[in-house]
Amino acid sequence: MKDPYETLGVAKTATAEEIRSAYRKLAKKLHPDLNPGDKSAEEKFKQVAGAYDLLSDTEKRRRFDAGEIDASGAERQHERYYKDYAEAAGGRRYQSASSGFDDFASQDDFLAELLRRRQEQARRAPGADRQYQLEVDFLDAVNGATKRITLPDGGSLDVTIPPGIEEGQVMRLRGKGAPSRGEGPAGDALVEITIRPHRFFTREGDDIVLELPITISEAVLGGKVKVPTTTGAVMATVPKGSNTGTTLRLRGKGAPKKGGGHGDELVRLKVMVPAAPDPQLEEFLSGWTPGASYDPRRDMQS
Amino acid sequence: MIITKTEFLLRTHLDQQTLEVWIQEEWLSPEQADTEPQFSEADLARAGLIRDLQGDLGVNKEGVGVILNLVDQIHSLRWALANRIGGKTPQDGSAEP
Repeated sequence: MKDPYETLGVAKTATAEEIRSAYRKLAKKLHPDLNPGDKSAEEKFKQVAGAYDLLSDTEKRRRFDAGEIDASGAERQHERYYKDYAEAAGGRRYQSASSGFDDFASQDDFLAELLRRRQEQARRAPGADRQYQLEVDFLDAVNGATKRITLPDGGSLDVTIPPGIEEGQVMRLRGKGAPSRGEGPAGDALVEITIRPHRFFTREGDDIVLELPITISEAVLGGKVKVPTTTGAVMATVPKGSNTGTTLRLRGKGAPKKGGGHGDELVRLKVMVPAAPDPQLEEFLSGWTPGASYDPRRDMQS
Repeated sequence: MIITKTEFLLRTHLDQQTLEVWIQEEWLSPEQADTEPQFSEADLARAGLIRDLQGDLGVNKEGVGVILNLVDQIHSLRWALANRIGGKTPQDGSAEP
Protein backbone atom coordinates (compact mmCIF):
# COMPACT_ATOMS: atom_id res chain seq x y z
CA MET A 1 0.00 0.00 0.00
CA LYS A 2 1.06 3.50 -0.79
CA ASP A 3 2.29 5.98 1.78
CA PRO A 4 -0.81 7.36 3.52
CA TYR A 5 0.52 10.93 3.40
CA GLU A 6 0.91 10.54 -0.35
CA THR A 7 -2.54 8.99 -0.66
CA LEU A 8 -4.13 11.99 1.00
CA GLY A 9 -1.74 14.41 -0.71
CA VAL A 10 -0.52 16.07 2.47
CA ALA A 11 2.92 16.77 3.89
CA LYS A 12 4.33 14.63 6.69
CA THR A 13 4.11 17.68 8.90
CA ALA A 14 0.42 18.30 8.15
CA THR A 15 -1.81 19.22 11.09
CA ALA A 16 -4.84 17.15 12.03
CA GLU A 17 -7.04 19.84 10.51
CA GLU A 18 -5.14 19.73 7.21
CA ILE A 19 -5.45 15.96 7.09
CA ARG A 20 -9.15 16.14 7.78
CA SER A 21 -9.82 18.69 5.09
CA ALA A 22 -7.70 16.79 2.56
CA TYR A 23 -9.64 13.64 3.30
CA ARG A 24 -12.95 15.40 3.09
CA LYS A 25 -12.08 16.85 -0.30
CA LEU A 26 -11.13 13.44 -1.68
CA ALA A 27 -14.08 11.66 -0.06
CA LYS A 28 -16.55 14.06 -1.66
CA LYS A 29 -15.08 13.18 -5.02
CA LEU A 30 -14.59 9.45 -4.48
CA HIS A 31 -17.33 8.21 -2.14
CA PRO A 32 -18.68 5.06 -3.82
CA ASP A 33 -22.27 6.12 -3.34
CA LEU A 34 -21.60 9.32 -5.22
CA ASN A 35 -19.95 7.31 -8.02
CA PRO A 36 -22.23 4.31 -8.26
CA GLY A 37 -20.92 3.08 -11.60
CA ASP A 38 -17.21 3.68 -11.05
CA LYS A 39 -15.27 0.72 -9.68
CA SER A 40 -11.97 2.64 -9.62
CA ALA A 41 -13.50 5.32 -7.40
CA GLU A 42 -14.44 2.64 -4.88
CA GLU A 43 -10.88 1.28 -4.87
CA LYS A 44 -9.38 4.73 -4.47
CA PHE A 45 -11.87 5.61 -1.75
CA LYS A 46 -10.91 2.52 0.22
CA GLN A 47 -7.28 3.62 0.18
CA VAL A 48 -8.06 7.20 1.03
CA ALA A 49 -10.35 6.18 3.88
CA GLY A 50 -7.76 3.73 5.15
CA ALA A 51 -5.06 6.40 5.08
CA TYR A 52 -7.36 8.75 6.93
CA ASP A 53 -8.20 6.12 9.56
CA LEU A 54 -4.47 5.77 10.18
CA LEU A 55 -3.51 9.43 10.21
CA SER A 56 -6.56 10.77 12.05
CA ASP A 57 -5.79 8.57 15.03
CA THR A 58 -2.99 10.35 16.92
CA GLU A 59 -1.62 7.18 18.45
CA LYS A 60 -1.66 5.22 15.19
CA ARG A 61 -0.07 8.16 13.37
CA ARG A 62 2.71 8.39 15.97
CA ARG A 63 3.45 4.70 15.69
CA PHE A 64 3.42 4.87 11.90
CA ASP A 65 5.80 7.85 11.92
CA ALA A 66 8.06 5.99 14.32
CA GLY A 67 8.09 3.02 11.96
CA GLU A 68 6.39 0.72 14.48
CA ILE A 69 3.56 -0.13 12.12
CA ASP A 70 3.26 0.07 8.38
CA ALA A 71 0.31 1.09 6.29
CA SER A 72 -0.63 -2.45 5.30
CA GLY A 73 -4.07 -3.58 6.27
CA ALA A 74 -5.12 0.01 6.60
CA GLU A 75 -7.59 -0.22 3.76
CA ARG A 76 -10.93 0.40 5.28
CA GLN A 77 -13.16 -2.62 5.26
CA HIS A 78 -16.42 -0.90 4.61
CA GLU A 79 -19.71 -2.67 5.03
CA ARG A 80 -21.53 -2.70 1.73
CA TYR A 81 -22.42 0.59 0.13
CA TYR A 82 -25.90 1.78 -0.57
CA LYS A 83 -25.29 1.61 -4.31
CA ASP A 84 -25.08 -2.17 -3.97
CA TYR A 85 -28.72 -2.22 -2.89
CA ALA A 86 -30.20 0.82 -4.58
CA GLU A 87 -31.25 -0.91 -7.77
CA ALA A 88 -32.23 -4.20 -6.17
CA ALA A 89 -35.65 -4.79 -4.73
CA GLY A 90 -34.90 -3.32 -1.29
CA GLY A 91 -33.68 0.03 -2.58
CA ARG A 92 -36.16 0.35 -5.41
CA ARG A 93 -38.54 1.92 -2.95
CA TYR A 94 -36.38 5.02 -2.81
CA GLN A 95 -36.13 5.54 -6.54
CA SER A 96 -37.96 8.60 -7.72
CA ALA A 97 -40.94 7.75 -9.85
CA SER A 98 -39.85 9.38 -13.08
CA SER A 99 -38.97 12.94 -12.19
CA GLY A 100 -35.43 12.57 -13.51
CA PHE A 101 -36.38 11.71 -17.06
CA ASP A 102 -40.03 11.96 -17.87
CA ASP A 103 -39.22 14.75 -20.30
CA PHE A 104 -37.31 12.50 -22.65
CA ALA A 105 -39.21 9.36 -21.79
CA SER A 106 -42.09 10.71 -23.85
CA GLN A 107 -39.85 10.68 -26.93
CA ASP A 108 -38.80 7.10 -26.51
CA ASP A 109 -41.56 4.52 -26.58
CA PHE A 110 -39.45 1.83 -25.03
CA LEU A 111 -38.40 4.02 -22.11
CA ALA A 112 -41.92 5.36 -21.64
CA GLU A 113 -43.26 1.82 -21.54
CA LEU A 114 -40.55 0.79 -19.11
CA LEU A 115 -41.30 3.62 -16.73
CA ARG A 116 -45.01 3.04 -16.96
CA ARG A 117 -44.50 -0.62 -16.15
CA ARG A 118 -42.24 0.16 -13.25
CA GLN A 119 -44.65 2.62 -11.72
CA GLU A 120 -47.37 0.09 -12.22
CA GLN A 121 -45.22 -2.52 -10.53
CA ALA A 122 -44.57 -0.25 -7.57
CA ARG A 123 -48.26 0.50 -7.30
CA ARG A 124 -49.23 -3.13 -7.46
CA ALA A 125 -46.57 -4.32 -5.03
CA PRO A 126 -48.20 -6.27 -2.21
CA GLY A 127 -48.05 -5.15 1.41
CA ALA A 128 -45.74 -6.70 3.95
CA ASP A 129 -46.53 -9.95 5.73
CA ARG A 130 -47.35 -9.77 9.40
CA GLN A 131 -46.53 -12.38 11.99
CA TYR A 132 -48.70 -13.42 14.88
CA GLN A 133 -48.59 -16.02 17.58
CA LEU A 134 -51.68 -17.85 18.66
CA GLU A 135 -51.91 -20.11 21.66
CA VAL A 136 -54.71 -22.65 21.44
CA ASP A 137 -56.07 -25.23 23.84
CA PHE A 138 -54.99 -28.81 23.34
CA LEU A 139 -58.50 -29.97 22.46
CA ASP A 140 -59.02 -27.09 20.00
CA ALA A 141 -55.81 -28.11 18.25
CA VAL A 142 -57.02 -31.70 17.96
CA ASN A 143 -60.63 -31.01 17.04
CA GLY A 144 -60.27 -27.68 15.22
CA ALA A 145 -61.81 -24.37 16.27
CA THR A 146 -62.27 -20.77 15.28
CA LYS A 147 -60.25 -18.24 17.23
CA ARG A 148 -60.16 -14.49 17.12
CA ILE A 149 -56.86 -12.58 17.29
CA THR A 150 -57.05 -8.99 18.46
CA LEU A 151 -54.64 -6.89 16.42
CA PRO A 152 -52.46 -4.10 17.82
CA ASP A 153 -54.39 -1.57 15.74
CA GLY A 154 -57.67 -2.59 17.38
CA GLY A 155 -58.96 -4.74 14.54
CA SER A 156 -59.42 -8.46 14.79
CA LEU A 157 -58.72 -11.52 12.75
CA ASP A 158 -60.71 -14.75 12.73
CA VAL A 159 -58.53 -17.81 12.40
CA THR A 160 -60.02 -21.17 11.54
CA ILE A 161 -57.83 -23.83 13.08
CA PRO A 162 -57.96 -27.07 11.11
CA PRO A 163 -58.37 -30.24 13.19
CA GLY A 164 -55.08 -31.94 14.04
CA ILE A 165 -52.88 -28.84 13.79
CA GLU A 166 -49.45 -29.29 15.34
CA GLU A 167 -47.22 -27.24 17.60
CA GLY A 168 -45.17 -24.67 15.66
CA GLN A 169 -47.24 -24.96 12.49
CA VAL A 170 -47.65 -21.64 10.67
CA MET A 171 -50.93 -20.74 9.03
CA ARG A 172 -50.90 -18.27 6.16
CA LEU A 173 -53.99 -16.09 5.89
CA ARG A 174 -53.92 -14.50 2.48
CA GLY A 175 -54.51 -10.78 2.34
CA LYS A 176 -54.64 -10.35 6.12
CA GLY A 177 -51.22 -8.69 6.41
CA ALA A 178 -50.22 -5.04 5.97
CA PRO A 179 -51.99 -3.11 3.20
CA SER A 180 -50.08 -2.34 0.01
CA ARG A 181 -48.42 1.05 -0.25
CA GLY A 182 -50.08 1.50 -3.61
CA GLU A 183 -53.03 -0.40 -4.98
CA GLY A 184 -51.59 -3.88 -4.69
CA PRO A 185 -53.01 -6.67 -2.58
CA ALA A 186 -52.42 -6.69 1.15
CA GLY A 187 -49.67 -8.97 2.50
CA ASP A 188 -50.40 -12.17 4.35
CA ALA A 189 -50.83 -12.81 8.04
CA LEU A 190 -48.58 -15.61 9.28
CA VAL A 191 -49.98 -17.18 12.41
CA GLU A 192 -47.71 -19.47 14.38
CA ILE A 193 -49.56 -21.96 16.53
CA THR A 194 -48.50 -22.93 20.01
CA ILE A 195 -50.51 -25.50 21.93
CA ARG A 196 -51.28 -25.30 25.63
CA PRO A 197 -50.65 -28.63 27.36
CA HIS A 198 -53.67 -30.61 28.54
CA ARG A 199 -54.25 -31.85 32.06
CA PHE A 200 -54.08 -35.51 31.08
CA PHE A 201 -53.79 -35.87 27.32
CA THR A 202 -50.49 -35.64 25.49
CA ARG A 203 -49.80 -36.10 21.82
CA GLU A 204 -47.33 -38.31 19.98
CA GLY A 205 -47.70 -37.57 16.29
CA ASP A 206 -51.26 -38.48 15.38
CA ASP A 207 -51.77 -40.54 18.51
CA ILE A 208 -53.21 -39.23 21.75
CA VAL A 209 -51.62 -40.65 24.87
CA LEU A 210 -53.46 -40.91 28.17
CA GLU A 211 -52.42 -42.40 31.48
CA LEU A 212 -55.47 -44.00 33.07
CA PRO A 213 -55.47 -44.85 36.78
CA ILE A 214 -57.31 -48.10 37.61
CA THR A 215 -58.07 -49.92 40.85
CA ILE A 216 -56.42 -53.15 41.94
CA SER A 217 -59.60 -55.11 41.33
CA GLU A 218 -60.00 -53.66 37.82
CA ALA A 219 -56.42 -54.71 37.13
CA VAL A 220 -56.77 -58.22 38.51
CA LEU A 221 -60.32 -59.02 37.50
CA GLY A 222 -60.62 -56.91 34.38
CA GLY A 223 -63.73 -54.92 33.57
CA LYS A 224 -65.29 -52.06 31.71
CA VAL A 225 -64.01 -48.57 32.49
CA LYS A 226 -64.92 -45.13 31.25
CA VAL A 227 -62.01 -43.62 29.27
CA PRO A 228 -61.91 -39.94 28.29
CA THR A 229 -61.07 -39.25 24.64
CA THR A 230 -60.70 -35.91 22.90
CA THR A 231 -64.24 -36.26 21.60
CA GLY A 232 -65.91 -37.42 24.81
CA ALA A 233 -65.76 -40.48 27.09
CA VAL A 234 -66.07 -44.04 25.78
CA MET A 235 -66.26 -47.40 27.52
CA ALA A 236 -63.25 -49.64 27.18
CA THR A 237 -62.47 -53.10 28.46
CA VAL A 238 -59.51 -53.57 30.78
CA PRO A 239 -58.37 -57.16 30.22
CA LYS A 240 -58.03 -59.48 33.16
CA GLY A 241 -54.54 -59.37 34.72
CA SER A 242 -53.60 -55.91 33.42
CA ASN A 243 -50.67 -54.14 34.99
CA THR A 244 -49.20 -50.67 35.31
CA GLY A 245 -47.78 -49.93 31.86
CA THR A 246 -50.24 -52.12 29.97
CA THR A 247 -51.39 -50.08 26.98
CA LEU A 248 -54.82 -50.23 25.42
CA ARG A 249 -55.19 -48.94 21.88
CA LEU A 250 -58.46 -47.23 20.99
CA ARG A 251 -58.40 -47.26 17.20
CA GLY A 252 -59.39 -44.05 15.46
CA LYS A 253 -59.67 -42.06 18.67
CA GLY A 254 -56.49 -40.03 18.03
CA ALA A 255 -55.89 -36.75 16.22
CA PRO A 256 -57.01 -36.36 12.59
CA LYS A 257 -54.28 -37.28 10.10
CA LYS A 258 -53.30 -34.97 7.29
CA GLY A 259 -54.26 -37.40 4.56
CA GLY A 260 -57.57 -38.31 6.21
CA GLY A 261 -58.43 -40.78 8.95
CA HIS A 262 -57.42 -40.56 12.57
CA GLY A 263 -54.59 -41.72 14.80
CA ASP A 264 -55.25 -43.88 17.84
CA GLU A 265 -55.61 -43.15 21.49
CA LEU A 266 -53.10 -45.03 23.60
CA VAL A 267 -54.32 -45.65 27.15
CA ARG A 268 -51.50 -46.51 29.54
CA LEU A 269 -52.88 -48.16 32.64
CA LYS A 270 -51.61 -47.29 36.09
CA VAL A 271 -52.67 -49.45 38.99
CA MET A 272 -53.47 -47.39 42.09
CA VAL A 273 -53.51 -48.74 45.64
CA PRO A 274 -56.12 -46.94 47.80
CA ALA A 275 -54.68 -43.65 49.05
CA ALA A 276 -55.97 -44.14 52.60
CA PRO A 277 -55.12 -47.36 54.52
CA ASP A 278 -57.85 -49.93 53.87
CA PRO A 279 -58.22 -52.43 56.78
CA GLN A 280 -60.17 -54.89 54.65
CA LEU A 281 -57.51 -55.00 51.98
CA GLU A 282 -54.78 -55.31 54.58
CA GLU A 283 -56.56 -58.17 56.23
CA PHE A 284 -57.09 -59.92 52.92
CA LEU A 285 -53.49 -59.53 51.86
CA SER A 286 -52.11 -60.77 55.22
CA GLY A 287 -54.02 -63.97 54.69
CA TRP A 288 -53.05 -64.28 51.01
CA THR A 289 -50.15 -66.46 49.89
CA PRO A 290 -49.01 -65.50 46.40
CA GLY A 291 -47.99 -68.24 43.99
CA ALA A 292 -44.32 -69.14 43.59
CA SER A 293 -44.17 -67.44 40.19
CA TYR A 294 -45.13 -64.08 41.66
CA ASP A 295 -41.78 -62.34 42.07
CA PRO A 296 -41.79 -58.94 40.34
CA ARG A 297 -38.08 -58.40 41.12
CA ARG A 298 -36.94 -61.66 39.65
CA ASP A 299 -35.03 -59.94 36.82
CA MET A 300 -33.05 -57.83 39.26
CA GLN A 301 -31.40 -60.68 41.11
CA SER A 302 -27.76 -61.07 40.30
CA MET B 1 -34.31 -10.21 5.51
CA ILE B 2 -36.23 -8.16 8.02
CA ILE B 3 -34.36 -6.07 10.58
CA THR B 4 -36.16 -4.84 13.67
CA LYS B 5 -35.82 -1.31 14.97
CA THR B 6 -33.74 -2.43 17.94
CA GLU B 7 -31.36 -4.39 15.74
CA PHE B 8 -31.18 -1.51 13.28
CA LEU B 9 -30.22 0.97 16.01
CA LEU B 10 -27.60 -1.46 17.27
CA ARG B 11 -26.04 -2.09 13.86
CA THR B 12 -26.01 1.55 12.78
CA HIS B 13 -24.93 2.90 16.20
CA LEU B 14 -27.72 5.45 15.94
CA ASP B 15 -29.80 6.75 18.80
CA GLN B 16 -33.56 6.54 18.65
CA GLN B 17 -34.05 10.28 18.29
CA THR B 18 -31.71 10.58 15.31
CA LEU B 19 -33.45 7.69 13.60
CA GLU B 20 -36.82 9.36 14.11
CA VAL B 21 -35.53 12.56 12.54
CA TRP B 22 -34.16 10.63 9.57
CA ILE B 23 -37.48 8.90 9.04
CA GLN B 24 -39.33 12.19 9.44
CA GLU B 25 -37.09 13.77 6.81
CA GLU B 26 -37.87 10.75 4.60
CA TRP B 27 -34.18 9.96 4.29
CA LEU B 28 -35.20 6.50 5.40
CA SER B 29 -38.62 5.01 4.83
CA PRO B 30 -38.82 1.55 6.36
CA GLU B 31 -41.83 -0.68 5.85
CA GLN B 32 -44.47 -0.12 8.48
CA ALA B 33 -45.65 -3.40 9.95
CA ASP B 34 -48.11 -3.12 12.82
CA THR B 35 -46.69 -0.39 15.02
CA GLU B 36 -43.02 -1.23 14.48
CA PRO B 37 -41.02 -0.24 11.40
CA GLN B 38 -39.22 -3.06 9.58
CA PHE B 39 -35.85 -2.31 8.02
CA SER B 40 -34.00 -4.02 5.19
CA GLU B 41 -30.31 -4.41 4.30
CA ALA B 42 -30.85 -1.55 1.84
CA ASP B 43 -32.01 0.70 4.70
CA LEU B 44 -28.94 -0.32 6.66
CA ALA B 45 -26.59 0.59 3.82
CA ARG B 46 -28.50 3.82 3.23
CA ALA B 47 -28.03 4.76 6.88
CA GLY B 48 -24.30 4.14 6.34
CA LEU B 49 -24.37 6.59 3.45
CA ILE B 50 -26.19 9.25 5.50
CA ARG B 51 -23.66 8.81 8.30
CA ASP B 52 -20.77 9.18 5.83
CA LEU B 53 -22.37 12.31 4.37
CA GLN B 54 -22.89 13.97 7.73
CA GLY B 55 -19.69 12.78 9.32
CA ASP B 56 -16.75 12.30 6.97
CA LEU B 57 -18.08 14.56 4.25
CA GLY B 58 -19.34 17.35 6.51
CA VAL B 59 -22.65 17.79 4.70
CA ASN B 60 -25.31 19.68 6.65
CA LYS B 61 -28.90 18.59 7.09
CA GLU B 62 -30.28 20.41 4.06
CA GLY B 63 -27.45 19.07 1.94
CA VAL B 64 -28.14 15.47 2.91
CA GLY B 65 -31.73 15.74 1.66
CA VAL B 66 -30.60 17.23 -1.65
CA ILE B 67 -27.90 14.60 -2.14
CA LEU B 68 -30.19 11.68 -1.30
CA ASN B 69 -32.77 12.98 -3.74
CA LEU B 70 -30.16 13.21 -6.50
CA VAL B 71 -28.68 9.83 -5.62
CA ASP B 72 -32.18 8.33 -5.84
CA GLN B 73 -32.65 9.93 -9.23
CA ILE B 74 -29.30 8.58 -10.41
CA HIS B 75 -30.32 5.09 -9.42
CA SER B 76 -33.63 5.45 -11.22
CA LEU B 77 -31.77 6.57 -14.32
CA ARG B 78 -29.20 3.81 -14.03
CA TRP B 79 -31.99 1.32 -13.64
CA ALA B 80 -33.83 2.64 -16.68
CA LEU B 81 -30.65 2.82 -18.72
CA ALA B 82 -29.64 -0.71 -17.80
CA ASN B 83 -33.06 -1.87 -18.97
CA ARG B 84 -32.78 0.12 -22.18
CA ILE B 85 -29.43 -1.29 -23.21
CA GLY B 86 -29.39 -4.68 -21.56
CA GLY B 87 -33.03 -5.55 -21.27
CA LYS B 88 -32.51 -6.42 -17.64
CA THR B 89 -32.19 -4.83 -14.26
CA PRO B 90 -28.82 -4.79 -12.58
CA GLN B 91 -28.69 -7.15 -9.59
CA ASP B 92 -32.31 -8.09 -10.00
CA GLY B 93 -33.02 -10.14 -13.05
CA SER B 94 -36.51 -11.06 -11.99
CA ALA B 95 -37.99 -7.60 -12.00
CA GLU B 96 -38.89 -7.59 -15.64
CA PRO B 97 -40.02 -10.45 -17.82
